[in-house]
Formats: sequence, structure tokens, C-alpha cells
Amino acid sequence: MAWISKKRLKETLKAYLFLAPFLAVFIGLVVYPIGVGFRLSLYGQRGARMWYVGFENYQRVFSDSMFWSAFRVPLFLLLVQVPLMLFLATMIAFLYETRKNGGPVYRFLYYLPYTIPGIVSGIVWSYIFSDSMSPLHPLLNLFGFQNVKLLTRGNVPGILLVIILWQFTGYTAFLIYSSLIAIPKEYSEAAQLDGAGMWQIAFRIKLPLLKGPLITLFIFNAIGAMQVFNEPWMLANLVVLPLNYTPAMYIYNSAFSQGRFTYASAMGIILAVITCGFSWYVLRSAGRQILGRRH
Amino acid sequence: MRRRSTSYIVFTVILVLLAAFFIFPFYWLTMGITKNVSQLFQKSLLPGRPSYLGDNVSKVFAYQNGVFFNWMLNSFLYATVGAFVSVFIASLAGYAFRRYDFIGKRLLFVFIIAFAMVPGFATTLPLFMLFRDVNILDTRWAVLLPSFVNIFAVYMMVSYWNQVEDEVFDAAAIDGANELTAFWKIGLPNIIPGFITLFLLAFVSAWNNFFLPLVVINSRARMPLILGITTITDPQGFPVYNLTLTASFFTILPLLILFVSLQRYFKPQMYMR
Repeated sequence: MAWISKKRLKETLKAYLFLAPFLAVFIGLVVYPIGVGFRLSLYGQRGARMWYVGFENYQRVFSDSMFWSAFRVPLFLLLVQVPLMLFLATMIAFLYETRKNGGPVYRFLYYLPYTIPGIVSGIVWSYIFSDSMSPLHPLLNLFGFQNVKLLTRGNVPGILLVIILWQFTGYTAFLIYSSLIAIPKEYSEAAQLDGAGMWQIAFRIKLPLLKGPLITLFIFNAIGAMQVFNEPWMLANLVVLPLNYTPAMYIYNSAFSQGRFTYASAMGIILAVITCGFSWYVLRSAGRQILGRRH
Repeated sequence: MRRRSTSYIVFTVILVLLAAFFIFPFYWLTMGITKNVSQLFQKSLLPGRPSYLGDNVSKVFAYQNGVFFNWMLNSFLYATVGAFVSVFIASLAGYAFRRYDFIGKRLLFVFIIAFAMVPGFATTLPLFMLFRDVNILDTRWAVLLPSFVNIFAVYMMVSYWNQVEDEVFDAAAIDGANELTAFWKIGLPNIIPGFITLFLLAFVSAWNNFFLPLVVINSRARMPLILGITTITDPQGFPVYNLTLTASFFTILPLLILFVSLQRYFKPQMYMR
């Protein structure tokens, strides 16, 4: 290997010494388990007995209507909650801009729900919508709606929408606001000289410049929607939800309530492929950006 | 000063209404922990009268011979150790990417990042099987070990290290410092703010991680708070709303304290900036 200089070999050795601890846990606890999960997915199983079946589990997943109907909630979130949240967050970010220093108090208060774990959000919101404790009932009674049941199975997607909007809108608005203040002032000043109003500047000049961050945010939230688990898991304590309410719940229940590990592994791999498909665009540009900076 | 226009007032009203929406669950939770179950069922927005706060707190603390304190300690252990180890080894890895032009660099980076978006469900299930084979299921290691991997931290560390100028490392080389000293004494102080930010983010995500302990922990004494509070029931197995709320309050209190006191480190982070 004459073409690799001695210096480069030495650098390589040193680099891998620094990388060793990370690579050990990364390979041992992420890469290898995924390999194990894939191998498991190729086995049939009854109790503790397992035998090789090739891609039979995958064939069964593809024709399992329970699996595909579990995507109804993620799809609803993807098509309704995510666009709605990005719209609201962009509006909020523009509102921040009308305040002195970007309204630090508002930014702080809106960001606060993001620090709360999904489980606790699920507990508190499920109580707020529950028949026995809801503070909304007195309000509804006031408007003449007596004995309305809020926490029904049909309302769960709407309630999930409220919970997730509550958790992530402020955080998203903060991120969009950070992108907004990075836009050079000259742009809006020039437009102002041409007689453009505040909203004209916001929509005609700033919004197009937010395209990159908004696409990234859309993809991250799409991935989150595909994996939603904690909030419906907690809601299921107060309203009966089917085992396959979301893909993640179906995977968990298949493995741990029904003991179908190998089948659950196959579903896990499919869900991983779907989410990785979503993230491919972001990761590609992220990788290009960070390594392109030097060398 | 400029005249406050109508639109300014309209915007203020919108912002205040939104603030009310974002604050409301915190308010309701805080009121909720002062009530017993029958007061909760009265659906009032006011604090409980008489207040059952002390009663709720002492019942949560006394629940199952004080298992709540185990949960609290476990949460602190899992979050502190997991966050520190994962961010520290990420800083070592980031240093390697910054300092050395090594064989396989680009490929390795892309390979690592490619795993960033793999959902927890895809790894947790096989980890359950692997941990069962090596008999660490239902031990603290089963929660700690997976939290040592933080791909996002590696990514961020590469960008933090990239911001450290070459001169800093050159000066270290002239001083005859070896690589480890250069990393430890000269490099690390330069990335401390980033280190703290990543530590806090990792702390919060470990504190909030529900799925992993749900799968790998069975004994109540080894559960973290986030899992423990979902198991609170009366002896007949029915939920006890006031106790669950009180325990939830104590689960988020450390997070709120961290967030309020260290606000400047909680900058929102994204993969692409």
C-alpha cells in the first residue's frame, strides 16, 4: 500500500482510537441489533420455537390490513397536523418579529410545552378531555351543550392533534424565528423603500427564504407522525383503543401482548425503511453541508 | 414613540390568547395536585378547598413503601450518566472528524448519519432479545447502555469542533502536547458551551424516554419516573387520578427548573441550519 503515506496511516490510527468508544456502542447497540432484528424477521415463531421462513413474514405484513390501517392516524397527522402546525408556527414567528427583541417572554412560554414528556402531556390532556374531570364541560354547559362526551374513540385523532400542536408549535415557531432573523435586513429595507407593507414583506420576501427550513421541519414532523406512540398510549387508559391504533402500538402489542416477536420485527424493519425514506433528503444535504465545510 | 396601531393591538391579543393555550395545562395540573378525586370531579378551575396538596404529596411519597424515591433516583441516574457518557464519547468522535484526514472518513460519517433516523422501535425489539440472552434484562444496564449512543450529538460535535480554529491545535502541537492532552486541555474548553447544550438535550430526552424502559424493565424498583407514574393504581388496580397528577408534577418539575435556570443553553437545534 505504497500510495498511502505513513503520515496518513498514523492519522488513521489516531482517529480510530478517538472514534473507538463511539463505534463500539454504535455498532453494538444500533447496527448489530438492527441486523439481529432483520434476521429475526426471517423466522417463523410459535412460542419459543423458531424456524427459517425467508420473507414470509414480510408477505404477511403486506397483506395484513391491521398493519396498514394503523397508518390512518399517522396519515391524518401528516396531512392535517403537520401542515397546520407549520402554518401556525410561521405566523407566530412573524408575530414575534413585531415585538421588541422578538418577544422573549412569548417565545419562552410557547416553548415550554416542548420540555414536557409525551407521557405527561398525554396524562394531563387526557384528564382535561375526560368525562369525569374536564374543565371544558362547565364551559360547554354554559353554551347549552349538556353531557357532551369529549373523550370518545372518534375524537381521539382530534385530541391527538391538540396535544401535538400544544407540544411542538412553540418549538417550531422558535426554529422558524431563528431562520427569520438570519435573513439579511437589507432585503426587507429595500422592499420597504419600494413601499411594501409588513405582511407583503413577510409573504413575498421572507416566506420563500424559509423554504429550506420548512421542508426540513416537515420531514422531521412526518417521521414523528409515523412513530407516534406515547400520547395514544396514555389516552388508551381512558378510552378503549384497538391494539393497532398506530403502527408503533401495533408493533409493541404484537411483540409483548401476543408474543409474535419475529412478525413484530418484520413490521419494525418496514417502519424503519419508511421513516428512513422520509429522512433521506434531509440527511443527504446535512452530510454534504457539514463535511463540505472543511477539507 | 410610534403610535400603537390597531394591528399591533390585534397581534397582542392573539399572542396573549396563544400564551393562555400553552400555559393552560400547566395551570390545570398545578391546580389539580391540590385536589382529591372528588374535588377533581367538580371540574373547577380553582385550587382545591380545603387543599389536599400535602395529603397528595405524602401519599405519593408513601406509595408502595416509597417506590417513588427509587423512580426519582433512577431517572437522575439514567439521565445524568446516559447524557454524560453519550456526549463525551460523541465529543471524542467529533474530534477525530475535525482533526484527522483518515481513511474511510467520508464513508464512515455518512454511514453513522444514515442511522440517525432509525426509529427506536426497530432497535428496541432486538435489544430486548439480546439483553435477554446476556441476562441484563430488567437491570439498570438495559436502560443505560442504549442511551450511550447519541448520533445527533456526534453530528453536532463535528460542527462544534469545526468552529475551533486550526491555530488552537497548532499551538498545542508546538507546546509538545500529545493528542489526548490536546483534546482534553486545549480542545474541550473550546466546545464547552456546545457540550453543555448537548448534555442538557440528552438529559431531557433520557429523562423522557418511555419506550425503552417500558420494554426492558419489569421491576418497579428499577423504573424511571416516566414509567413509574403510569403504574400508579389503587390496590384493586384502578387509576388514582390525584396521585398520578401529583407524581406527573414531580416528573416535570426538574425539567422545568433546568429549563428556566439554563435557558440560554436550550437553543433549539436542527440537523440543518
